Amino acid sequence: MTALLEARGLGVRFGGVQALTDVDLTVDEGALVGLIGPNGAGKTTLIDALTGLVPAGGRVTFAGRQIGGLPAHRRARAGLGRTWQSLELFGDLTVTENLQVAADRQGPWGMLHDLLRPRRTAPAPGVAEALALLELGDLAGRMPDELTQGQRKLVGVARALAARPRLVCLDEPAAGLDTDESAALGRHLRRVVDAGTSMLLVDHDMGLVFSICDLVYVLEFGRVITAGAPADVRADRAVIAAYLGGDGA
Amino acid sequence: MRIPTAAIGLAALAGGAVVLARVLPDEATALLLGTGTGCLISAIALTIVLTFRGSGTVNFAAGAMAMEAAYVYDDLRRSGTLFPTDLSLGGPLGVLPAMVVALIASALLGALCHVLVFRPLRSAPPLSKVVASVGVLIVLQAIALLRYGSTPRSLQPILSKTPVRLSDDIIVPGDQLLLAGIVVVLTIALWAVFRFTRFGLATRAAAENERAATLLGFSPDFLAGANWILSAVLAGFLGILVATVNGSLDPVTITLLVVPALGAALLGGLTSFGVATAAGLGIAMTQSLIQVLSLEPWFPQAGSGPLPGVRETVPFVVIVIALVVRGQTLPTRGTVSPVKLPEIPRPRRLGAGAVVVAGGCAAGLLTLGPVWRLAITNTLIGALICLSLVVLTGYVGQISLAQMTLAGVSGFVLAKLASGAGVPFPLAPLAGALVATVFGLAMAVPALRVRGVNLAILTLAGGVAVEKLVFGNPAWSGGLEGAQVPSPALLGVSFGPRDPSSVLGDGKLPSPWFGIFCLAVVMAAAAGVANLHRSATGRRMLAVRSNERAAAAAGVSVAGTKLLAFGLAAFIAGLGGALSGYRFGSVSPEFFGGVASLTFLAYAYLGGITSLSGAGLGGFLVAGGVGFTALKQWVHVGDRWTLLVTGIGLVATAVMNPEGMAGALRETRRRLTRRKAVAP
Repeated sequence: MTALLEARGLGVRFGGVQALTDVDLTVDEGALVGLIGPNGAGKTTLIDALTGLVPAGGRVTFAGRQIGGLPAHRRARAGLGRTWQSLELFGDLTVTENLQVAADRQGPWGMLHDLLRPRRTAPAPGVAEALALLELGDLAGRMPDELTQGQRKLVGVARALAARPRLVCLDEPAAGLDTDESAALGRHLRRVVDAGTSMLLVDHDMGLVFSICDLVYVLEFGRVITAGAPADVRADRAVIAAYLGGDGA
Repeated sequence: MRIPTAAIGLAALAGGAVVLARVLPDEATALLLGTGTGCLISAIALTIVLTFRGSGTVNFAAGAMAMEAAYVYDDLRRSGTLFPTDLSLGGPLGVLPAMVVALIASALLGALCHVLVFRPLRSAPPLSKVVASVGVLIVLQAIALLRYGSTPRSLQPILSKTPVRLSDDIIVPGDQLLLAGIVVVLTIALWAVFRFTRFGLATRAAAENERAATLLGFSPDFLAGANWILSAVLAGFLGILVATVNGSLDPVTITLLVVPALGAALLGGLTSFGVATAAGLGIAMTQSLIQVLSLEPWFPQAGSGPLPGVRETVPFVVIVIALVVRGQTLPTRGTVSPVKLPEIPRPRRLGAGAVVVAGGCAAGLLTLGPVWRLAITNTLIGALICLSLVVLTGYVGQISLAQMTLAGVSGFVLAKLASGAGVPFPLAPLAGALVATVFGLAMAVPALRVRGVNLAILTLAGGVAVEKLVFGNPAWSGGLEGAQVPSPALLGVSFGPRDPSSVLGDGKLPSPWFGIFCLAVVMAAAAGVANLHRSATGRRMLAVRSNERAAAAAGVSVAGTKLLAFGLAAFIAGLGGALSGYRFGSVSPEFFGGVASLTFLAYAYLGGITSLSGAGLGGFLVAGGVGFTALKQWVHVGDRWTLLVTGIGLVATAVMNPEGMAGALRETRRRLTRRKAVAP
């Protein structure tokens, strides 16, 4: 397998706090990589750094291209999508329109065109695909505030997928879901990966992470303390001590 | 940590003045003469900081509060009546009683602001707070204008003007020095209160976490109210002193000192009293230094005198520097609940709406008399400028307090091109709107890193700078009678408001053709905006409004989207400016000034900042529009009440109904349909 995303020596500082230190991380083409760690370990910061939402030191290569200096929206258009831990849907737009924002690609003269004649063509194919994949078709015309917490989470994932990204970073997609919903989410995510999208999954649901990921990174105090196959990580003493609290669940 | 920076600032000011005094005695005297106004700028900046720390609100009305207190004081001194009423306290009062009563009135004003306006808005989005405080500004100014008009009045001094000899060459009036001393003492007192008392500690704690203040035994509500009262009294006290030192008072000058004061407060991060005071003095000193230097031969010239308006750009420069230096880390107070932005209605049955509106306006223009024709024309032009705010503020959430300035840029360019260079009709107004677009984009560049209230401050200061620098320039403004704008003409047929039409209407002026032309422009612009709303660009705009980070992560260029909105809004405002140039046959700086921009935000917000129908309703409300013409014709309410009614309406809208009149209509309709659905 070839590496799709490669981060080398990633570091982030907030004022006097070193949030990430010298993080190396690789996501291979077509892989589902898990990222776990205790609260405050820097998981969300790592996603922010990869997707360009916080300035970070170090090198980030994506699809063979240096993206370390690119602003967030250029990284997104290059095929690096993400979801949010909290609910970050666009409240004034329907579910479909939320997905369209991510899927639309427009040239520099797009606005002039939009002023004169709004495009009434169907949404980009990625929108329908993402809705179908996550079984959200029934909700397409709803507004975000009409949805349940779990549905909103799924729409957030669908929005990231609508742009047909090559890699999508998921920030705690299972938080707030019950066990059944979480298991269903796991199946959905596996389907997404099998359809060719690589994935970096951050979650607290160990069952979910260990059951579907190919490779798991463990982050503590802003450093990667170990990385490996789920079975190995689950058995790793350092991980058990730092994070799993000894019960290995 | 803070007092050292502030102390260094003050020491640097004093040191600079001393050094300058040795080298250039004349200029040093000028510097010190700036301290009168500087003290008031500092005082207003102090009150802004106080209100912000106490309640998280940036008070645009701080200058107006100082102005109001000075009027109350002076009326008591002159006749013993209680401004703005005729209520007599039994003859002229002495200095001290008048001061005490005026400060009690200020305290009441502060309490009213807190209880009626800003407490209900505690967890409202920044837009509502900005709009509400602009509303308070408009109300206070309208009260003063209603009572005494805009003519300045003279005041008796309180402080002794006995000159003080600072060195052999420098002699300054004693009152200026005393005033500076008072401000510095007040600053230190405020700092000490916030540093050492339980009240100050609780206020500081509440700014971080409202529950922490409760633990100290103060309710956040009490703290906010107390700080409002304190700041109103402080503004009032210095307002009275400075008005008497300057010896003159009018409703506008002190009110607009809020612009440099906001700059000074921003330099102190809206939290440091010391920096705010030092910066306020510094700004005023720089301004009076520029005043003196403008007499030098090397100073840039315009027409027969020095380039005007350089002084007024100082606050703008300070604000830009403050915002750039502080970058994106500007203070935002932790909000308890997530803010809810005014709802953006989905465009529905636009075609039908357009036919009704266009048909109604056209019918009115063709059948009604001259008074109503003029009212409809004014409404259409107003609606166009409100529409520009719908795009920028409604759809993208960017607050601009400079839309009328941008309209003015277009108006002046039109005047210059059409009457000076003889550029014909469609080209000259289009060129005007395009130049306005360039100004709008220039304003957007610093705006990319600035959000919410700070953006409102930035645009307000930018608008005032352009007003003084460009509109005040005799080369552009055309002197006292204003810059003339010839009638628009196409294929040899003139259709300006003063071209009598023999084909349509009753032959009286204004000609209905011009109204029809305005209608066509408004409908075209509205169609464009409606198209945009339903398109990919519109979705991106709404995405940016609701969440910039999520929009960026979804591949939306936030900067590009904002630039687009600023540019488009400026273009639409520019069209409005060109139309109003044609409408009056001339353009004047006052019409497009900073206050006008504030009132237009008021119209747009009152109408409904998030929808096309809101822009139309905003147009109804403008001065000389259909709404006030109706009041005048049917209820016989004079034009002079326009501003007051607008201000009160604005505050009420911000507090009770952030979606404006259009939102209220939608809600009523929704309720009616629901009732119909329930009824058998």
